[in-house]
Amino acid sequence: MTLIDFAGLLVSALLLAGIYSIMSVGMTVIYGVMKIVNLAHAGFMMLGAYFAWELYARFNLDPILAALLAFPVMFVIGGAVHWLLVRRLPHSDEPTLQSLLLMFGLWLLLQNIGYLIWGNTDRSIFTPRTLSVVHVGPIAISTVRLVVFGVAIACLILLEVVINYTWFGRSVRALIQNRYAGLIVGVYEDATAGLTFGLGIGFAGLAGGLLASLYSFDPDFGRAFLIRAFVIIVLGGLDSISGVALGALVLALVETFSIIFVPAGYQLAISFGLLVVVLIVLPGGIASLLAKVRRVA
Amino acid sequence: MTATATAKEENRPRKWQSIVPLAAGIIALIVLPLSLSSPNFIRLLFLTLLWVTTSIAWNLLGGFAGQVSFGFAVFYGVGAYTTALAINAKVNPFLAFLMGAVAAAIISVFLGLPTFRLRGPYFAIATIGISEAVRVVMTNIGFTGGASGYRILEARAFQQFEHYFTALGLALIALLVSAKIANAKFGLGLKAIRQDEDAAADVGVNPYTNKLAVHAIAAALTGAAGGVFARYAAFIHPNGVFGFQTGVHILLMPVIGGIGTVWGPVVGGFVFGIVEEEIVASFPQIHLLLYGSLLILIIMVEPGGILGGVRELIRRYRGRRKK
Repeated sequence: MTLIDFAGLLVSALLLAGIYSIMSVGMTVIYGVMKIVNLAHAGFMMLGAYFAWELYARFNLDPILAALLAFPVMFVIGGAVHWLLVRRLPHSDEPTLQSLLLMFGLWLLLQNIGYLIWGNTDRSIFTPRTLSVVHVGPIAISTVRLVVFGVAIACLILLEVVINYTWFGRSVRALIQNRYAGLIVGVYEDATAGLTFGLGIGFAGLAGGLLASLYSFDPDFGRAFLIRAFVIIVLGGLDSISGVALGALVLALVETFSIIFVPAGYQLAISFGLLVVVLIVLPGGIASLLAKVRRVA
Repeated sequence: MTATATAKEENRPRKWQSIVPLAAGIIALIVLPLSLSSPNFIRLLFLTLLWVTTSIAWNLLGGFAGQVSFGFAVFYGVGAYTTALAINAKVNPFLAFLMGAVAAAIISVFLGLPTFRLRGPYFAIATIGISEAVRVVMTNIGFTGGASGYRILEARAFQQFEHYFTALGLALIALLVSAKIANAKFGLGLKAIRQDEDAAADVGVNPYTNKLAVHAIAAALTGAAGGVFARYAAFIHPNGVFGFQTGVHILLMPVIGGIGTVWGPVVGGFVFGIVEEEIVASFPQIHLLLYGSLLILIIMVEPGGILGGVRELIRRYRGRRKK
């Protein structure tokens, strides 16, 4: 492997990490505030992908713009799902099996809605941008990946700003840190949880729309990404937004560079196996590992 | 104090209450296929009985011990492939089923050793990862034909009744095991683990070894069911027996029927088998919708499943009559 090959892989891992983090961040905020492991995340990503595709196919809208439009639509859907189902679940400090099974049922439901509306043929979005590349020195970078990466990073920064500098963000952080203390100082839990759920689902839709520009998809779209998202949020420490970016980077690097050692057919097995390893070895995420190293040093 | 004691006495099912329907059910399951001898009906009952077996097996771990696993397709697949390889190596088929069960149990210990360090939902998520990783490996592995599947060759005529009665026998064994565990000290220990792992450990129930043990029993039953299916189908492929769908089906049945009871998974298995093979065959486009909404409904309205719902109705009806 030459140095240029190495740099090429590094760049593609970085671009992948951007996409992975936007895909996982929705799960993290929902987990942080409500302690719900959102198995239906994949279903909402699928809806986002089809939303972008419909706008592109019918109105010839730019697919990236369509993905951005998916955010408010899915935000409203997410809020509705919270109002209809999720808020009726008993509150808990730990993820409950009840919520896990509820979200799983919702995922099955969404998948079937997808099959009913769009059938089971693979769809893809193909624009002139899809095959074009940008040359940076000797490295060729796919334009569409670069654009998707840019949009993903911009949205993540926007989310950080909202979480850090608004009242809603303060409520969210309060509930993530300590639900009871938050309630005592007057955080309106129902509204915050509903908005957070909408936000998480909105990000799922946005991520789905962005992924639609990169991969082909069908109503079963998202299962492989869901498991990757699990790996990422566990690596990131489950409820930290900056942890997500770190986790996404680690997973993207592992996946990209494992191509050198493992046949491509086994790629998915690596991410899935990594999920188990990470859950067992690093339940507190990378942050806890760093803290441990610091304590020892 | 005495009032609650008598109430408990009344709620406990009397022995004949469970033995009479059981005997009637077994007789019906023996007589009906023999008298009707419609191959399609027997096929339906055969597959339903296999589903019932896996449903009972899942409930041992998921219902009694409260450890929800999405990964039972691994055991179903391991059982199916082990049996298939053994039969092709001219091993007696019944010995081959046993080998499938043992192989699945061994695999379950290897999977359980690391994953049972995780609790509740984290265990559930890990099983999704394991199930998918195993499926990916099996679609790529060489000696079983990879994604193109594996064929079983038996130089003899197809005898549907033999397959059917094997499945019936297996389902009865599973039911017996489940009923025995429910009433034994082992089962009480599992229930303690479901309610509070730390408290269970304090009173001398080792959660780790108990979970491993029940996992192995459940895996053996599931593996045997996979083996019986493999011999019947004579052709298996990773996206079928190892598919995520298979694991999902095995999880849905006990939840539908009534989790943590002896009869719930049986009811769930029968309902699911008939729905899956009959209704879904006519309306294939809505089966996920059906299962998804059923799951949501059960979680939101009646966590006890069909059995819990029926018991609730009977209780209300009796309460009204007493007034």
